Amino acid sequence: MKTYPLTQAVDFAIVGSGAAGGVLARELSRAGFSVVVLEQGPRLTLADFEHDELKYWFDAGITNDVVKNPQTFRDDHAKRGERNMIRPSLCYARTVGGTTVHYTANYWRFREIDFEERSRRGSIAGTGFADWPIRYADLEPYYTKVEWEIGVSGLAGASPFDPPRSRPYPMPPMPVKSSGVLLERGARKLGLHPFPAPLAINSQHYRGRPACIHCGFCQGFGCEVSAKASTLTTMLPEAEATGRCEVRSESYVVQVVTDKRGRATGVRYFDRDRRERLQKARAVILSANGAETPRLLLMSANNRFPQGLANSSGLVGKYLMFNYTARTHAVFEHELNEFKSVQCSRVVFDFYDSDPQRGFYGGGGIDSRIGPQPIVWADRIGEEGASWGSAYKARLMEFTRTMQVASHGTSLPLETNSVELDPELKDAWGMPAMRVTYKDHPDDLATVRFLQARAEEIMHAAGALKVTSAPIKPQTGSVHLLGTCRMGDDPAQSIVDRYHRSHDIPNLFICDGSSFVTSGRGQPTQTIQALAFRAGEHIARFARRSEI
Amino acid sequence: MRKPDLDTYSRRAVLRVMCALGGAWLTLDLAKVVHAAPFLSAAELADVDAIAAQIIPTDATPGAREAGVVEFIDRALATVFARMARDFRSQLSEFRLRCRVQYPDVPSFAALPRQQQIEFLQQVERTPFFERIRLLTIIGMFAMPKYGGNRDGVGWKLLGFQDQHLFQPPFGYYDRDYAG
Repeated sequence: MKTYPLTQAVDFAIVGSGAAGGVLARELSRAGFSVVVLEQGPRLTLADFEHDELKYWFDAGITNDVVKNPQTFRDDHAKRGERNMIRPSLCYARTVGGTTVHYTANYWRFREIDFEERSRRGSIAGTGFADWPIRYADLEPYYTKVEWEIGVSGLAGASPFDPPRSRPYPMPPMPVKSSGVLLERGARKLGLHPFPAPLAINSQHYRGRPACIHCGFCQGFGCEVSAKASTLTTMLPEAEATGRCEVRSESYVVQVVTDKRGRATGVRYFDRDRRERLQKARAVILSANGAETPRLLLMSANNRFPQGLANSSGLVGKYLMFNYTARTHAVFEHELNEFKSVQCSRVVFDFYDSDPQRGFYGGGGIDSRIGPQPIVWADRIGEEGASWGSAYKARLMEFTRTMQVASHGTSLPLETNSVELDPELKDAWGMPAMRVTYKDHPDDLATVRFLQARAEEIMHAAGALKVTSAPIKPQTGSVHLLGTCRMGDDPAQSIVDRYHRSHDIPNLFICDGSSFVTSGRGQPTQTIQALAFRAGEHIARFARRSEI
Repeated sequence: MRKPDLDTYSRRAVLRVMCALGGAWLTLDLAKVVHAAPFLSAAELADVDAIAAQIIPTDATPGAREAGVVEFIDRALATVFARMARDFRSQLSEFRLRCRVQYPDVPSFAALPRQQQIEFLQQVERTPFFERIRLLTIIGMFAMPKYGGNRDGVGWKLLGFQDQHLFQPPFGYYDRDYAG
């Protein structure tokens, strides 16, 4: 496999090997450029992926670690951030392949409305609600590319809400689960339009990877057979096969270096032995996720850019968005055995659009789910009734007869919701820890309350014996890390332009969840990857014309 | 192989006595002579065990006690959850003190009758300590047995969960004969 000596400046240094970084690495190396991908986490193999819930959910088996990568959280700028000791607020997989290794692999295209909702609906006071500089039609070819290059199973045309598409899915949908059958039954009774969940999980052998074996360990786990598509098992090996891409794991980038002209010249990082290294590059691409990308820009502050890089607008790290996931559980007469197979098999998009008659902004998707595996399920079920004692134990024993319905909603972009550098706390390398400030907009909470009530109706219509919902509480963290380096045409209002080039530094590109202008309705990864395929094409064009 | 160290051995013996008697008052005297290892003292262990046994009680089916949750918690605080050990111990001390103040005639939480244990836990169920010990109990009940809890998979059996690598449809009752 290709390795580049540190003395050699490569065409592109890409920070992060996840959803976006993996795609960009493949696209740019295939386009003929030399690429080094720097990934802070280790490179794992399929043999490393176990069904070990303690390790993966509570001991940073694959995620950022509250000890080495600490964060503080607060819901108000007047407060001091508090350090979390169980799970980080902003949680991502810290490994080659990034969050695509441990995600649930729900691949929802955004719809037209997501890109132009501000124009269609009007502004929302006190928020940064804005249109994207691109439209669905600009991204459609790349959504299709994601489905065919990464591998998505689904059924085109099954949903009346499916936006225009140029090709069907390359694979049929996954087998329906009992939860999917019941969601479908209830939703149809109410006149709704459920459809098979699109998943980046193989329903059949596809591009050298096997079909799913239904082990049930998708969400939070690496797939032991690679039926779930991660960039670890798709894009990165294909990038390496070009002979022009090196994926350098355990390389923790702490600074983007700039020269006197204000151009990026490379990245400084700690290698696995904690030695400081410098990788020089003609251009730098940040795909470190919506939490680490802004942190890195802020940590890279220097005399010329005292507010941090790409931050003349002062908006780096601002407009952090999540997607609320509200839970409803329903118990049925017979066994569902939701612990088997993929997490989700049916989706309802009837409440996707915002409706002014509801009295608040927002919409979302509802899907049928596994509650996660035993520990997390047992913990969460306690939010909906007895949380300990005999009544709680009786509830635990309904595990195989219980399904979850998840309601996924919008997050409004608020300037006060942010990723910053903590003024005191340092990480294990002595670098400033991340400080997260987040408070849901009241409309975001109203949206999931509304959706949750619909989920309950669907379950009653499906014949559930018992339906309970987790209380809607303010969010204190997320795995959907969006909006912190938003794209836009106006340099005073955004960080990157429509091609992901930073407004301030011509050879610094940023492409990941941070590029989002609005949150979408719940599942961001396919859009992150569509953006990355599109950005790869444009960045390659700029590089060929020496415009980087 | 490392020789079993005497303290650890005694501690285990205490635990066995405790479990065998189903009550904990006997352990209190023994606790004075038993050194804590890996993490909690015998007296602390007795209270943790009693709390866990109220969170997931033993009735017609096994509970936290049969799953070995207390051994799991003790070991975890010295290993995978060492990061929360100090907080846990100080919170546990507060819990024990509060119990002592409320029931001055009873030496410990573990020594309280069952109904009083439940009443006391109802008073503290919103505290960070209870939330933490509840989570640790759940983890000890359902984590892979290699961590010392979920002994013989009793937690998984209670749920009806099967840890397998391969399943095939139909997965449950409702997806049989799915017509579309």
